[in-house]
Amino acid sequence: MKHSISIFWRLKDNHYKIYVTKCRDCGKAVSLKRLKCPYCGSRNVEYVESRGFGELINYTVSYYRTEGSEQYLPRVVGLVKLDEGPIIVGEIVDVDLNELSIGTRVEAVLRKYSSEDPNGLIYYGLKFIPVIKK
Amino acid sequence: MKTCVIGSGVTKVDRHYDKNYLVLIDEAVSKALADSGLDVSDIEYLVVSTAFPESILNQADPSTYIAQNLGFRKVKALTVSSGEVSGAVALDYAHALIRSGKASRVLVVGFEKMSEYPSWVINKVYTKILEYEVEGIKNVTPPDYAALITNEYMRRYGVSRESIIRWSIKMHENAVKTPHAQLQFTISTDSLSRALRISEPITMLDSHPTSDGAAALLLVNESVAKKADKAPIELVDVESSVNLPIYLREDLTYFSATAAAYKRLSSRNGVRLTTNTAVNVYDTYDIYGLLTIEALEICARGEAVRCMDEMPYLNVGGGLKARGHPVGATPLYQVHELRELMTGVSWAKYDGEISLAHAMSGPDNNAWLILLRRWA
Amino acid sequence: MTSSRFRVGIVGWGAYIPAYRIKAKEIARQWGFDDRVTDSIWIEEKAVAGADEDTVTMGWYAAKSALLRAGVNPGDIGAVFVGTESKPYAVKPSSTIIADALGISTKKLSTDLEFACRAGSEGIRISVSLVESGTVRYGLAIGSDTAQANPGDVLELTASSGAAAYLVGPADESVAVFENLVTYVTDTPDFWRRDGSKYPAHGEGFTGEPAYFHHIVSAVKMLMDESGLKPSDFDYAVFHQPNGKFPLQVGRMLGFPREKVLPGIVTPWIGNTYNASALLGLAKILENSKPGQRILVAPFGSGAGADAISVLVTEKVLERVGRAPTVEELMARKKYISYAEYAKFRNLIHRNLW
Repeated sequence: MKHSISIFWRLKDNHYKIYVTKCRDCGKAVSLKRLKCPYCGSRNVEYVESRGFGELINYTVSYYRTEGSEQYLPRVVGLVKLDEGPIIVGEIVDVDLNELSIGTRVEAVLRKYSSEDPNGLIYYGLKFIPVIKK
Repeated sequence: MKTCVIGSGVTKVDRHYDKNYLVLIDEAVSKALADSGLDVSDIEYLVVSTAFPESILNQADPSTYIAQNLGFRKVKALTVSSGEVSGAVALDYAHALIRSGKASRVLVVGFEKMSEYPSWVINKVYTKILEYEVEGIKNVTPPDYAALITNEYMRRYGVSRESIIRWSIKMHENAVKTPHAQLQFTISTDSLSRALRISEPITMLDSHPTSDGAAALLLVNESVAKKADKAPIELVDVESSVNLPIYLREDLTYFSATAAAYKRLSSRNGVRLTTNTAVNVYDTYDIYGLLTIEALEICARGEAVRCMDEMPYLNVGGGLKARGHPVGATPLYQVHELRELMTGVSWAKYDGEISLAHAMSGPDNNAWLILLRRWA
Repeated sequence: MTSSRFRVGIVGWGAYIPAYRIKAKEIARQWGFDDRVTDSIWIEEKAVAGADEDTVTMGWYAAKSALLRAGVNPGDIGAVFVGTESKPYAVKPSSTIIADALGISTKKLSTDLEFACRAGSEGIRISVSLVESGTVRYGLAIGSDTAQANPGDVLELTASSGAAAYLVGPADESVAVFENLVTYVTDTPDFWRRDGSKYPAHGEGFTGEPAYFHHIVSAVKMLMDESGLKPSDFDYAVFHQPNGKFPLQVGRMLGFPREKVLPGIVTPWIGNTYNASALLGLAKILENSKPGQRILVAPFGSGAGADAISVLVTEKVLERVGRAPTVEELMARKKYISYAEYAKFRNLIHRNLW
């Protein structure tokens, strides 16, 4: 059994949604829910849910084969600058490799990260697609 | 108490399908002990460095079984598993033992068996150096980050793809002259168009290979060093820093953890690196080697590709690219190569006072620097 | 019969269609069918879910769009139903995953429903009753499927993937209010899938007259008798659409002119999305409707049963269409794939893991 039950269940918030952690002390904002501000270490933070839209600012097409994700090759991994400001890393899917470009507007969608077939858990989480509604 | 390195030994880096970890370690340790004039029974601490023993060997704390199998009866044995920087951490620990007076003779052994499983399994193991709950679980892998960083570097400084590969070309030239290096053949920019892509634009020509190896270093205090046959070198200082995750960095092309560690190391010890200083840096991917010599203030930002031509003592062993990257052993190979350089054994002739080894976890997530000096 | 007399309606709706398409003739030729068969049933191409998509991921997107259109607080949703015959887990509801991913209240009724292709519609009917009785403020009904297409079977030409979602709530917040709802159900074995079986079995011709046509006609006639409505009272008639021909045929049988049925037909270009079939047709109609228009929607599920539901469009529809991707925008998003890529995505071929 490779997929832990409790690890993923605890992480749901950070994978079913995109949260932005805002530091009330130093004012900086980062992607994902964090215990403390990674810049100043303060615990005085608040969480805001991102709408899930942003701009693709960097990406790579990957052929790196890892156990459990072979059927998703080639993967596109990219950095997305959310409308709310912070940058998040994630997979970009439903793209034509010839049409992929920096600046593409993307939206977050729920997809399968991996699944321990045929009997184990499915891990669901957010990836990015080019926005459907132009 | 000063820390001195009085012996070292390494195996050839290769895919050693026919040798298990104990055989490789035995080889390296025997060479190191012979080199130092010490014996198994002289060793007080056995510090073992390995990154993925549980994933690859199904073995927690291999140091116990290395001690048992190699005849270390009276030793204090422990394993340091600190991801991709395990070897540097192990050396820091050994250094602390000696400086504090807690030990006078420490054997540090690093090893890894990356060829033990097929690529799709080992790739997943290697991906554990990134943050599982953020990157691992999302199928983001180490070469993806090297690719994103390369894209940003090329865009920002107008550096071409062909210039970046020059790093790997130089590494292979050095490896040809290094008996223990894994890839002892030269490459050229012509190979680039056929090179298998990993994460575009990173190809096999830009990336470290899959390596097995073991390296051993004898660290002792001054009084033991005085009695050694050969001139020892001093392990002067170790410094380290942790960076922000890649996606929170303002500048992907600046290895700020390496830079911060260097600033502290350099000011505390009154040393500065120049293009003529012998350095052994983590070129896990060629782009990482280039960014590291910029972060160490040897080269100006964006200038590494040109500047590296003026560095005769850069990664003389061939770096991670061509000497290889048996992960837990790599920093020990680096120190061994710098020691060879400073004791006249290497193919290159070096008369510099100091040298530096640099190790890091992934894209500068955790950077470690080891300062070495000729022992007066 | 249930008549809400405008107490309950559709507050928001959403759709999802995967990006990939495969041409029906490519499938036909793969298996040596005379490729004219695709014209005879009117199927041109079908939507294919990607390797990382399933009933949960598609249902989530449709539901998210429904919530965006409705503009309600997810915490006020008291019921979530997923009608599907392609559950990723045989035991573990898809509805709870979608609900948590959308931030819906933990105080809720929730379950996955099975009734071949009409379980999504049953979810709508249950939600209507829950809202009407005051048990919940809003109920979310989703129809989502990655239909299991038996390779080489004629149904492989049409069995596709897609999802639709409807947020049911108070009539005064709705884009369309429920006027009449009836359901006609019998035990009719036209199409089934045994527990553990990968693909469904079907009775070919038997799936027509005794199943699809009999149940839809019976349900619609039941609605007309009880309500006094006639085909001329409706602006649109949307039917379950296993292919492009059947809904046109049943529309004729019921006396609806072709131009009232054609706008709700989507199958020829996206395939039969099973639980989303009629519901995607309804979504497309809503996105092109005008206030005051009356729509008949008649989903059908094998086994067998049909619903007949009449809704009246309100003026609220116009401002909500643009809040999320429309069916037409989703239909326009397409990338063609070969049979080999289709086989890989749908797990017809896969690497043996060791």
